[in-house]
Amino acid sequence: MKRKEFFSSLFAFVPLVLGFLGISKISVDFLNPETGNAKIRKIFAISLEDINIGESRNMTDLKGKEFLLIRTGEKKVKALSTTCTHLGCTVYWQQDKNRFYCPCHQGVFNPDGEVVSGPPPKKLNSYDTEIIGNNVYIYLKDKEA
Amino acid sequence: MGLAKWFKTSFPVDNEALVEMSSEPIPNHLKKWWWALGGTPLYMFIVQVITGLLLVFYYEPNVEEAYNSISRITNELPYGWLIRSIHKWSANIMIASVILHMMRVFFTQTYRKPRELNWMFGVTLFLLTLIFGFSGYSLIYEQMSYWAMKVGTEIAGATPFIGDWMASFIKGGEDIGQHTLTRMHIFHVMILPLAMVALIGLHVYLIRALGVSDLRFKDEERVEKKTFPFWPDHATTELVMVALIMFVLIALALLFPVHMGERANPNVTPIHIKPEWYFYPVFRWLKLTNLFWGVLGPMIFIGILYLWPFIDRFFEKIAPKKDLAFWIGVIGSLILTGFFFWEIVGH
Ligand code: HEM
Ligand code: FES
Repeated sequence: MKRKEFFSSLFAFVPLVLGFLGISKISVDFLNPETGNAKIRKIFAISLEDINIGESRNMTDLKGKEFLLIRTGEKKVKALSTTCTHLGCTVYWQQDKNRFYCPCHQGVFNPDGEVVSGPPPKKLNSYDTEIIGNNVYIYLKDKEA
Repeated sequence: MGLAKWFKTSFPVDNEALVEMSSEPIPNHLKKWWWALGGTPLYMFIVQVITGLLLVFYYEPNVEEAYNSISRITNELPYGWLIRSIHKWSANIMIASVILHMMRVFFTQTYRKPRELNWMFGVTLFLLTLIFGFSGYSLIYEQMSYWAMKVGTEIAGATPFIGDWMASFIKGGEDIGQHTLTRMHIFHVMILPLAMVALIGLHVYLIRALGVSDLRFKDEERVEKKTFPFWPDHATTELVMVALIMFVLIALALLFPVHMGERANPNVTPIHIKPEWYFYPVFRWLKLTNLFWGVLGPMIFIGILYLWPFIDRFFEKIAPKKDLAFWIGVIGSLILTGFFFWEIVGH
């Protein structure tokens, strides 16, 4: 290749490739904006006077997703996510079998949320809780801005 | 100057080239019906474009209105139910015929040199067809389609290495919501159709450029002429095929029109949940394995499909004339069919 041809193709292709890379980067960033910068909020959930030991309540987090609040002891509560850890379906509480059951791929969890059988890889998630006096607070992720 | 003449000068066409292009000689075995299977998805795609364009006039891609707008199409607009039903059945026939076409190519081993690349284009067309089905189903925003979307995006999210990135790309955020529906919509009505047209173009170009594989069947051995012209002979066969498929399609749409399911509820997964039939084998597989293999299994399967022409060449080298490809194909098809029926009868 002659020197002149080499340089003219260099000037033609380098900007083309750089331009292509630049546009790709811009498009990908545009389509994938930062998420997950939502604040964690501490929110009053219930007073211990309104829930007996062993009882549970259906509650809704700040994104509208339901979860279970269970009072497990005198000064102990547990906030269990009902979203299956396998592929995100909602589990059912089955009173007669004393278990959580996921209809999607037949995952089974015990009342503590631990996996009993089926494909789920880990126990059900739980939300952090705090009891101050008689008041139960839950730490919930806010909606994204 | 007459109108015809004016047209000829304004829009010159090389008649001879046209005749030559369309009378491409075709090997005799294309008279067998399963060679028309490649054409079927093409016709179905055209039906999808037409019915889809009609549906897009009324469909509203937002989480509040999506379900209502489809309900309106189904229950109120003139022939809405019919157009929707044809779109749905045509999608099913398209997927079924792509699978059958792929099996035909597999078992006649016409993916072999020099058609490896066209086989790979073909696998991509197969995947595009599946993604078409998935994204279209999501648009309805009824219970089954919402949870299919949920499980589908979670599967993408469980992919090794790039999972998180893929999931947030598909969902357009942390959770399924408006951004997800918008993305499904844009893919379904814009990106996938363009990609499909481009790939079908490449696929058909390579079929013409490389020619259809010349095979000899036993019953053809004594026939003198080995080919017949595309036009008008093969074109007629294809047209008969089109008429037949159209008849079946309309019959299915009339006898089994689509209905509305329950509106999507992000808090309750239906207790009896099933994906569309073409995802049955994957769904069964997910029940049988842990998350890691559940997700990796189908990806490995797709990888093998892509590389099959080269894997086959390797097998032919280490064990010539043993028909390994054939037996692997038979066993693979049996396993997938087994999973399929297991998912139909089991829960
Ligand atoms: C939208 C989907 C598709 C369309 C419209 C299509 C169209 C066609 C047509 C019209 C033919 C001519 C012969 C015949 O009809 O059997 C053909 C051949 C072929 N197709 Fe497809 N196809 C599609 C998907 C696929 C898939 C999924 C594969 C494989 C993974 C594939 C691989 C091939 C190969 C290798 C040939 C050449 C076969 C030979 O030379 O005998 N195609 N395709
Ligand atoms: S999503 Fe719960 S078992 Fe698969």
